[in-house]
Amino acid sequence: MRYTITHRTTYQYSSGVALCHNEAQLLPRETPWQLYRPSQIRIKPRPALSVERVDFFGNRVLYFAIQDIHQWLEVTVATEVRVLDERPFDSSSASPPWEQVRCMLQEDPDPEIIEARLFRLGSPFVAIQPGFREYAEPSFTPGRPLLEAVVDLNQRIYREFKYDPHFTTVATPLNEVLSERRGVCQDFAHLAIACLRALGLAARYVSGYLETLPPPGQPRLVGADASHAWLAVYVPGAGWAEFDPTNGCMPREKHVTLAWGRDYGDVAPLRGVVTGGGAHSMKVSVDVAPNPEPLKGKRG
Amino acid sequence: MTQAALVSPEELEPPSATLIADYPIPASGYDEMYSAPGMLRPHWQSITQALEDIGGEELERRHGEVQRLLQTDGVTYNTYDDPHGSQRHWLVDPIPLLMTGEEWSGLAEGLEQRSRLMNALLADLYDRRLAIRQGWLPPELIYAHPGFLHACHRSLPDGHRWLIFHGVDLGRGPDGVFRVYGDRVQSPSGAGYTLENRITLARALPMLYRDAPLRRLASFLETERATLAGLARHHPENPHVVLLTPGPNSPVYFEHAYLANYLSLSLVEGEDLVVRDGRVWLKTLGGLRPVDVVLRQVLDAFCDPLELRGDSLLGVPGLLQAVRGGHVVLANALGSGIIENPGLAPFLPLLCRQLLGEDLKLPSLPTWWCGQPSDCDYVQANLDELIVRSILPGGSYWEGRQLDTAARAKLLERIQAQPYLFVAQAPSSLSTAPVLEDGRLKPRPVMLRGFTVVNEDGYQVMPGGLARVSSGLDTLQAALEKGGISKDWWVLAPTPQRHVSLLRQAHGPIVATRDGDDLPSRVADNLFWLGRYSERLDGTARLLREALGRLLEWEQDNTDERCLDDLFEALEIPVPPVAESPRARFFALREALLNLLVDTELPGSLQVIFNGLSSTGRAVRNHLGDDNWRLLNRLQQWIQELPAHLSARQARELLEEELILVAAFSGLNNETMPHHQGWLFFDIGRYLERVLRTLDLFKLAFITARNPGVPLWEVVLTITDNLTTYRRRYRSALHPAAIIDLLLFDEGNPRSVGYQLRRLQRHIGRLQQPSGSPYRSAEERLVLEALSTLQLADIAALATLSQDSTRSSPELLRLLDAVQKPLLGLSDALTHSHFSHAEVPQQLITMRL
Repeated sequence: MRYTITHRTTYQYSSGVALCHNEAQLLPRETPWQLYRPSQIRIKPRPALSVERVDFFGNRVLYFAIQDIHQWLEVTVATEVRVLDERPFDSSSASPPWEQVRCMLQEDPDPEIIEARLFRLGSPFVAIQPGFREYAEPSFTPGRPLLEAVVDLNQRIYREFKYDPHFTTVATPLNEVLSERRGVCQDFAHLAIACLRALGLAARYVSGYLETLPPPGQPRLVGADASHAWLAVYVPGAGWAEFDPTNGCMPREKHVTLAWGRDYGDVAPLRGVVTGGGAHSMKVSVDVAPNPEPLKGKRG
Repeated sequence: MTQAALVSPEELEPPSATLIADYPIPASGYDEMYSAPGMLRPHWQSITQALEDIGGEELERRHGEVQRLLQTDGVTYNTYDDPHGSQRHWLVDPIPLLMTGEEWSGLAEGLEQRSRLMNALLADLYDRRLAIRQGWLPPELIYAHPGFLHACHRSLPDGHRWLIFHGVDLGRGPDGVFRVYGDRVQSPSGAGYTLENRITLARALPMLYRDAPLRRLASFLETERATLAGLARHHPENPHVVLLTPGPNSPVYFEHAYLANYLSLSLVEGEDLVVRDGRVWLKTLGGLRPVDVVLRQVLDAFCDPLELRGDSLLGVPGLLQAVRGGHVVLANALGSGIIENPGLAPFLPLLCRQLLGEDLKLPSLPTWWCGQPSDCDYVQANLDELIVRSILPGGSYWEGRQLDTAARAKLLERIQAQPYLFVAQAPSSLSTAPVLEDGRLKPRPVMLRGFTVVNEDGYQVMPGGLARVSSGLDTLQAALEKGGISKDWWVLAPTPQRHVSLLRQAHGPIVATRDGDDLPSRVADNLFWLGRYSERLDGTARLLREALGRLLEWEQDNTDERCLDDLFEALEIPVPPVAESPRARFFALREALLNLLVDTELPGSLQVIFNGLSSTGRAVRNHLGDDNWRLLNRLQQWIQELPAHLSARQARELLEEELILVAAFSGLNNETMPHHQGWLFFDIGRYLERVLRTLDLFKLAFITARNPGVPLWEVVLTITDNLTTYRRRYRSALHPAAIIDLLLFDEGNPRSVGYQLRRLQRHIGRLQQPSGSPYRSAEERLVLEALSTLQLADIAALATLSQDSTRSSPELLRLLDAVQKPLLGLSDALTHSHFSHAEVPQQLITMRL
């Protein structure tokens, strides 16, 4: 699928901001199944400095600073992306029993497997607690192939949890999500990651977008989309298999990948520190528009 | 009758042998001074002779002098958990710890190699991570440690070093071998204390130090200074190097101020710095000044609220990006804290071979990392012989044999849940060294902290370092918080060495500078408040002294006590309710007044005002003269030693003492502080406070007093110390018109409002104006308004107050209000024009930690 994604964030301040430093993770990654053309980045007011770099996880990070007094900030990133239906796993892919995977993660000297061990550890948003293991266990029966077990876990979260954007904030603890059985995509991704890590498996957080289809017979609403989040689990020697517990599926061509990390904290779309500003309000609008034009450029 | 009773005490203890011969050599372990009973180690020979010559009694006297010197110099160690007397005095033992040059050079080689190894490891961990990918280091050991900061990945431009300074804790075991107990790289404190110990002991014990063949420390610090200057990429000819401190509440703030002074660096806090155009700048009165090198004493994670801990108020947003751009160099680099992980120890021999191609020279304390199943099994099976530590910062530890069954089970459960967060170490008894206690030498276990600094071809090692009395279990910080004792560590040289001090020599051509527009805005702010607090302390003490005096007079001859009510008003404390008897009333009044002296919470009490004075003073410590610093410490001592129960008379006498100290403090600041921008702020603060207080007092005495009249007017003259002047000038009974002239209009009288306003106007006019605007600044306009109101007042109309007038004069009230109003806005105007750094950066999104 081809998309043009427009992500606009606006901050309004009650008093002037003298200086702001920001980091945006709004530029897509390149993967074997995802290509992109150079993004159009529009920042208003104009930043005095902006620098792109690649972070520890291989994500693209844009740093920028605005040094003149301003009352509002608008960051718009528009990118053309092509997603191929070539992700390496689907729900029927074969995989070793999950206990064997855990064992390989502990002992295998392969450098790639060693590096994946980072994603077995607790992280700032995903503290490992016994409750998550208990929740996961019904899916992880002895000898069950890893992917089959995760498909099951993914389905259970999808079925048993209610999508409720009013229940959680970025600061809601994960065990509250578990006990109340409600949350948003970020919470469900964190929950699934916590379950997998509690079992000794490696799981990472993926941020991106999902094309949403309007109800039949209605036109597509521009800007009604949102950032999305899901997760990936590591299959030693084969790579990372992605799961979307919010939608109970495995991402294919409708999931556009921005960045991945241990949890949300590593991939927050836009963060910043401002001097001055008083109170502030934020507005985000995301548009994932299917794009009929063939994508030219890199490998397109 | 026993035999001992038959001989005289002199015969029992021959005075010539009390110190050394009576040294109780431990039966086991390694003693630094004796290899066996009667076997003095040869390198102690000459010093033991010198110590004997001085004698135990004299040594104790000198020791007292050392402690006094350290105390008056304000050498302190703060503790976070004690909000009140949070400054602990640094304790030092007068007996040095001796090491031969030969033994030291072996140790120094090991330290040098260790610093190179740690630098190489950091360079690898923040780039290719071969150590992890190749399996030389388990990933959990690094990734689960909060010292590993993902944001620092590839953050150093080519050619920059990760490790500039390195502090290493060492202990010598019973076998005589030195082992490493831990590494300090984020804020390797101790180098400044080491130097201060050396200088102070040399002052107190010149006979011991003058001709001693010991290696001097100055050359190490000279390398440190040259290294810092050499790190600058942009202004190699005159680099701007700053020392970034968390501020006066840091446990080792004394050392930060001391090192900044010794190495000629600007002492700055996070809020003094700003990142613009990808560079780091210091906010000064004259605008932004570029910073080339930051000697960083703030923990890694707190340095940049944009990319590291978002809740940090100590850091500088955008700092890490400035590092990536190569525009500023941090010593040490951000992210180096991972080296402080105690779990690295078992892997160092392999890492040293792989990263340096060398064998590790300096062994670590035997350490087991529980993240390896075999080690974890060993630890669980041998818990009684081990000390378990968390690898997380904070230094929690458990002594296996001290744990009861429940605590043991709980610990094992924690280890099993997250084994990679724990290490175990086999404790070994530390070597003992002589420490002076009650005029005798006693063997006490010691630990050492060695220091290295990068030079052109590796690392230079400090010849000596900080020795301290320690069990070896706790960290340096923990030990000092408990009031640990430090020692001077001597490395012996073949011949006596010349004493060199960096304070007395120049480093190349010097750029003449006067404290002016490069003064950090925060420092100006603190100096302003230092002035205000010193005047407030003086004013409150004067009122209090007067109130206590009136109270005592009333008690003695039952004179009129009514003006006490008005003094309570002036002191802003409620008058106690009417009591049954005069006796009860006396006690109630006395208690209320004494509370202002001893209460540590009561707003407006001397204690609270002094805390303000002390914290602003500490924040500008390197702008105060040494003598003034001592006065501040004397004041602190005065306040800490106030008895809990005081009589009114005692309190009055103590206040006399305090008033002299405060007067000396303000006076000495006038005499020693160069009269440039910094001093102007101090002086403006003082006189603004004074003029506001004088106006308040005036209003009380002539307008709002419940009991106006001669007794109260007399009090006003006494408080402003003008009673003698009045009597000399008028030789008559008190008359309000004369008092008004003396205290309001007489511009030659430093206690008059007129004089104070003139002074404020002059000094505010001399302040650097940031914009260079041709118009008067807000603060100039405000003080001009007050002064001209006063000068245009119709004195004749005011003078109609008759001697027995007890009603308020509307003309006077109008005048006082008109003068006071602009002054109330002056403090804010100054803040806005000169200290406008006050805004705290805030996060756009809240990130949980």
